[in-house]
Amino acid sequence: MKRNRGEKKHRSGEIPTGSFSDIAFLLIIYFLVATTLVKVKTITADLPSGEKSSQSQSSDTPTVSLKGDLIMFKDKKVDLAGLNDRLLALDLFEQEGSKKVILLESTKGTPYNNYFQVLATISANGGVVALVEDDK
Amino acid sequence: MNKRAQRKKKRRVIPVPIASMGDIAFLLIIFFLVCSEVAKDKTNLEVTLPESEYVKKNKATVAARVAIDQDGVIYFDGARVPSAKDVEWGVRAVLASTVSEDQRHVQFKCDANLTKQTFEPVMKAIAEAGGLLDAVGEINQD
Repeated sequence: MKRNRGEKKHRSGEIPTGSFSDIAFLLIIYFLVATTLVKVKTITADLPSGEKSSQSQSSDTPTVSLKGDLIMFKDKKVDLAGLNDRLLALDLFEQEGSKKVILLESTKGTPYNNYFQVLATISANGGVVALVEDDK
Repeated sequence: MNKRAQRKKKRRVIPVPIASMGDIAFLLIIFFLVCSEVAKDKTNLEVTLPESEYVKKNKATVAARVAIDQDGVIYFDGARVPSAKDVEWGVRAVLASTVSEDQRHVQFKCDANLTKQTFEPVMKAIAEAGGLLDAVGEINQD
């Protein structure tokens, strides 16, 4: 009799699967919430090249020169804010074709940080940057 | 009153089959894991990014990724390339199958301390190949 009672107490070895769907959906929600889509911050610059570049350059095209930390606009020393003001005055967004072009020349040793800041300022004002080839 | 009670009794409880819900959910997870593209950008380089107040989040789809690390080593789509000329040919090849202007974006990541001799040939190569330069930077908080 005692044996019988013991046998009755044996549990069936089933794994409870009732909550599996909840776990799975929670996992889906976790992945959806925790996923971050990497979006880098950039500036977009359209650099004309080859023939297009030389066609867009004329004697009266405004030139920005970078000499190390120095920024020159039409041979006059300016800072970034000053450059921005000058470019705003040119109203580049309203211009068309070659009138939008700003020449960018730089000396050897110009750090990318300065170059980037000037490039960003010109692009933000609607200018098209034409890189000046080194003759030396 | 009696009729109402009878009606109530007649209502059937319709069981929704939830036994397969777990399988469906796990299949969905597997589907997402298999189909999702984990960051294509293998050029996870240690570079000091330049700063500007004009940088903004880029929404355009990038056709190719070019990077220059702090030692001046050039990478095209995650693979090391010996010169700027290789970047030009790489971008040309990628852009050959593009049809619209929006598909010309080429991401350019470069260390802020590098000098002109290193980065300008690469920028020119992208321009020569017809790419629209997306230079990566950080927002200047000042």
